Amino acid sequence: MERNTRRNFMKKLGASMGVAGVLGSSGLFSSCAKVETNTSGKITLLTSDGELVEVEKALLKPADIPSLPENQKRGRLGLSGRSWVMVIDLSKCRNARECMKACQNHHQLRPEQHHINVLQMQDAEHTAPYYMPKPCQQCDNPPCTKVCPVNATFKRDDGIVLIDNERCIGCRFCIAACPYSARVFNWFEPRDAEKYEGVTYNIEANVPQKKGTISKCLFSADRLRDSKLPSCVSACPNGVYWFGDRNEDAVTNGTTKETVSFSELIEKNAAYTLMEELGTKPRVYYLPPKDRAFPFQGQNNTHHS
Amino acid sequence: MNRKISFLTIVTLFLSVQANAQDWPVPADQNNRVNPQEYNLANVNKGKDLYLKNCKSCHGDPGKNNALPLVPPPVDVTSDKMQKNTEGGLYYKITNGRGAMPQFKTTISDDDRWKIVNYISNFSPKKQPLLVDAPPVKAKLLASVNERERKVEVFAESENNGIFTKLPNTPITVSTKKAFGNIEMGKVLTDENGRAEFVIPETVIGDEQGNVNIVVSLDDNYIADIVTLDKAKVGQLKPTPKLIQKGILWSTNENIQIWLLFSYIAAAGGAWLTIGYIVFQIAKIKRLSKE
Repeated sequence: MERNTRRNFMKKLGASMGVAGVLGSSGLFSSCAKVETNTSGKITLLTSDGELVEVEKALLKPADIPSLPENQKRGRLGLSGRSWVMVIDLSKCRNARECMKACQNHHQLRPEQHHINVLQMQDAEHTAPYYMPKPCQQCDNPPCTKVCPVNATFKRDDGIVLIDNERCIGCRFCIAACPYSARVFNWFEPRDAEKYEGVTYNIEANVPQKKGTISKCLFSADRLRDSKLPSCVSACPNGVYWFGDRNEDAVTNGTTKETVSFSELIEKNAAYTLMEELGTKPRVYYLPPKDRAFPFQGQNNTHHS
Repeated sequence: MNRKISFLTIVTLFLSVQANAQDWPVPADQNNRVNPQEYNLANVNKGKDLYLKNCKSCHGDPGKNNALPLVPPPVDVTSDKMQKNTEGGLYYKITNGRGAMPQFKTTISDDDRWKIVNYISNFSPKKQPLLVDAPPVKAKLLASVNERERKVEVFAESENNGIFTKLPNTPITVSTKKAFGNIEMGKVLTDENGRAEFVIPETVIGDEQGNVNIVVSLDDNYIADIVTLDKAKVGQLKPTPKLIQKGILWSTNENIQIWLLFSYIAAAGGAWLTIGYIVFQIAKIKRLSKE
């Protein structure tokens, strides 16, 4: 009996590994095919404003809510012919944080989670401090998508980098790869988790969020499908954001609704992108914080990098 | 650390108190300053242009009370609260801003800020208004596109005592539709027959087939239906560069490269084969031990 211990152990190990493998793979297949169903007369829907409404099932046309596989498919293809870009005018930002609030409402984010964050910047010891909203840069050469081992995060043809949290395994390689710290991890149950129970996952808003998966800014891809500006852009009271299609060379201001030529705007104002030297080719352009519309209200930080 | 927190608390309290304060004190020497810009039609007009560009997005159209719903609310130009200010006071507030109101000393020159004050004074009960906006007139717009000559031909009429007659010397705005709004291509004045021709610039970008959606409109002084000319073939083809190239990125299974697919299958299959081989060997050892 004593003699056979190692052999028995190996035998058990082999058997349990085989079983685990079979179970694991079958679990993988079943999770891919699982579609949320709701048998009651009412269905909870997420409006594009980030509010949940209860609607009678009979009132709904089936085309309005695509099934999960269909949603995942069109979410991966993107809006054809578009090439979304954002221009952020740093001279207009007052740190009102309306963009952050709108974003957190739309994407079901806890207060400490940010798809877009307004940072207090000071580039050098004697330069003026300023506020800098920082969303995901939606790089054309994204480092994050290349490290994903399960193809959960990907680049679409209209320029947006998205996440499929049905696929995400929570390894957080993409967080490590992103030089802009644009990604957040759901360490805890997401905000209002009970309100979103039974809501079909929308890959273009990454809602409902799921504990143990990644989330990031996605230019409110669900709103773009409805020809609406992203949540942060429409929420800004100070005209900081311009958003539009680079292919048609036009960007629209979220506050004033003025539409101007994208190439002219970035050329006239000497726009720049963040960490250009990394070759990530960001899609978010910054206009320098020259002639700022609001005085800096925060505390000047003498520590700077 | 504690000191930092208390400092921040004081700063926040101070700011919130400042924002909630109903009145906005102006230093006496600033309050009594005299407007160096003469109150004349040219200056008021210039002030109007500046107001439309810089102030309207929050304060709204004068007299329409359509300001943005901010806290504290932006005050309408025609309101008593706005007109209670002296010219120097207005200049001080435009210059320095407070809370949600930007400081314009960095973006608008001194003279131009005084001209905005002139424009606000136009609505003052104490002054003779120089800019009198006539009530909007009903108008009709007809427009068509000549694709061969790349022209938009416009005919405008306005209502006079119930009859529509031609509308001469009136600016017509020609724009194109973009994803989230209309971008102006240019303006053109109607001739004495109420007609106008707008030459479409070569640089206009259309959709993938070069079709442009043209929008023709009159200014705020007229009530007219905006004319939209859909799918005029006058634009350049919209460039649609492919982002997802084979060899760099792929987002769908259809874009995957064959060599990668094969090497993946080979690697994954190899791993399973190895495991199978080990299991087979263990079974073999077991069988041999029984013999």
